[in-house]
Amino acid sequence: MSAENSEIIATGSSLNPPLDLPAGLSDIVVLREAIPGQEENESYTQLVWRRFRRSKVSIIGGFMVIALVFLAIFADFFSPTTIYGVDLKASFIPPQIVHFFNDANGNFHIGPYVYNMIYTLNPKTFQVMWVEDTKIAYDIHFFVRGSDYKLLGLFPMNLHFFGVSDGGTVHILGTDKFGRDLWGKASEAGRISLTMSLFGTIISIIIGSVLGVASGYYGGWIDNVLQRFTEFVTAFPSLPLFMALAALIPKTADSFTVFVLMACIFAILSWTVLAREVRGKVLSLRESDFIMAAKEMGASDARIIFRHLYPNVLSHIIVILTLTVPAIILTESFLSFLGIGITEPLISWGLMMRNTQDIQTLGQNSWILAPIAFMVIAVLGFNFLGDGLRDAADPYAAK
Amino acid sequence: MVNYIFRRVIVAFFMLIGIGIVSFIVIQLPPGDYASTYKGYLLARGATQEDADRAEVLIRQQYGLDKPVAEQFINWIKDIVTKGKFGYSFAYGKDVGVLIAERIPMTLIIAILAHAISTVVGVGLGIYVAPRKYGIADNVWAIISFILTSVPRFSLAIILLYILVIDLKQPSVSSFFSPQFVFAGWSFAKVVDMFQHIWPVLLIAGLGGVARNMRVMRGNLLDVLGSQYVQTARSKGLKENTVILKHAVPNALHTIVAYQGTVLPYMLAGELEVAIVLGLPTLGPLFYEALVNGDIYVSGSLLLIYGVLILLGNLLADIFLSILDPRIRYS
Repeated sequence: MSAENSEIIATGSSLNPPLDLPAGLSDIVVLREAIPGQEENESYTQLVWRRFRRSKVSIIGGFMVIALVFLAIFADFFSPTTIYGVDLKASFIPPQIVHFFNDANGNFHIGPYVYNMIYTLNPKTFQVMWVEDTKIAYDIHFFVRGSDYKLLGLFPMNLHFFGVSDGGTVHILGTDKFGRDLWGKASEAGRISLTMSLFGTIISIIIGSVLGVASGYYGGWIDNVLQRFTEFVTAFPSLPLFMALAALIPKTADSFTVFVLMACIFAILSWTVLAREVRGKVLSLRESDFIMAAKEMGASDARIIFRHLYPNVLSHIIVILTLTVPAIILTESFLSFLGIGITEPLISWGLMMRNTQDIQTLGQNSWILAPIAFMVIAVLGFNFLGDGLRDAADPYAAK
Repeated sequence: MVNYIFRRVIVAFFMLIGIGIVSFIVIQLPPGDYASTYKGYLLARGATQEDADRAEVLIRQQYGLDKPVAEQFINWIKDIVTKGKFGYSFAYGKDVGVLIAERIPMTLIIAILAHAISTVVGVGLGIYVAPRKYGIADNVWAIISFILTSVPRFSLAIILLYILVIDLKQPSVSSFFSPQFVFAGWSFAKVVDMFQHIWPVLLIAGLGGVARNMRVMRGNLLDVLGSQYVQTARSKGLKENTVILKHAVPNALHTIVAYQGTVLPYMLAGELEVAIVLGLPTLGPLFYEALVNGDIYVSGSLLLIYGVLILLGNLLADIFLSILDPRIRYS
């Protein structure tokens, strides 16, 4: 409460200079120091953190999200080969198994290594397939020099997190039709999947919080109209509408336009939950003492909304943010999977899954399902995180 | 209660108009109108330029496409209501209403079955885990439910398709019946055969619903179990099972009923995703094909149908709730 008290006084100071505030303020400060042994109040953030920390699942969720974000940002670094190249000679290599101890010839060997992969004809089925060539083993080294790339698109580098010496390959999740490393590609795809969902969420939060605050604060007919509108949008079948709107984006539009339009499409239907929550919170705050006091002191509506109401609903906004992101990731992946979402050269997890539509290709190369793992980790991570934050966001409530 | 239902129906009616407008906008948004799209279609099929031009003019008159947009909208709705005509689909060469009538029964059967199963199982699990709050069973089911709602359903469908086709070598995955039952009349064996074909959809569409229903039921039941009348029931010396099943559960069910309106869109979306991947002849794949091919009347009409289905679901849930709980008033 202390922050709010001083806030009210500060509000007064700007409006009524004769109140002689500096002295008043210093009195309060002195008063605080004068009471010995009074407990130091924990700040809101500290309280939230204390409660959040207790939930192990949310911590795990947080780590999952951070890991994916790092993989996405530094995809070039974490991928053993370049993520942009195409190598049709290396198409559909199955995931290479990483061995740690003695090699197949019985020689003593310690540390991770992979065998050379060769393309051969299966003598029985006459199918061409990749097999491990146990004669040649490549040690996996960490922080090796490899193909050139630009870190964050700015700094030229050739350092990779792991890799093998020249001539060998290391594809821990295998390769796709074009011989691209799935691990590197899936890491890179996180860039689009995550930024698009975040971008869409931010737009939806702007819409949702503005409408929610307006609805709760002004009440009356504004509230009525906005509530009916929110109800209407909520009642709409979201997935079919997403699909219909995404399909309307012209095929000739460039990738960036598609990206922005997709994010906007997700935003215009995702704001309703937030608008409701914010409205409820604002309704309960509207009659509270500190808002009344601010009003009495003649603060403008804008000031009350932005200085007093927003900080108090911010925690809810953050919670909804972490819960909207996974919803958009799921929808985006489905749309891209269907081919009405993100288009090449951009790549998202859903677009990577597009190759699995051909059941024959999938039947022979089941590892191209790998992007599912990334999606699940992303969605699960955000859901865990959001769940923990929801419990922690209101630390003053009794557990 | 009657007053409430009456007002609720009026609100639903206005929403219906809104949904109709949005669907119509989706039909109107693509560049060019139906007549010019049809002309392009004719040209692509090898018609001469003059023929195509004539057809364009004819269609524009026949469908009233030269009239103002508002009038076109009213005509569209009027045709749907009075004649059951939604517009013409080139891909199928039929009126969209016929296509919808062909496919809607199975879509509804699947959605309602998935809905019913997920509600029963989800509520049952909720009742099971709530008294074991923070116990092993509760935590395990919480994590399972998180995972169930986190896996993209289309990818679950792909995995299932992979298992069915590649590992189990099951034939005719993309249909409702085995070949020998296609022309047979309804019998017990045919129903069994149908279930053998639609269980992947039911499973995948239903799983997420199970998780959601379970979470809601658990929360409600925990709230109710903390109330004083439950304490009274316990202090009378009733058995814990009686307290939970007879006293607490009926009061926790209200929210589940209200929640069903929210679960229905989720079920329809699940059906849509899985049916597209498996290629089952329901509304989902029809909608997707129409979107890809630019078959505008199909996509617009199906959007309307989906909206109406969800609206009806919500309305029924609310009406049922108002019968179940007389305290509900329209605010």
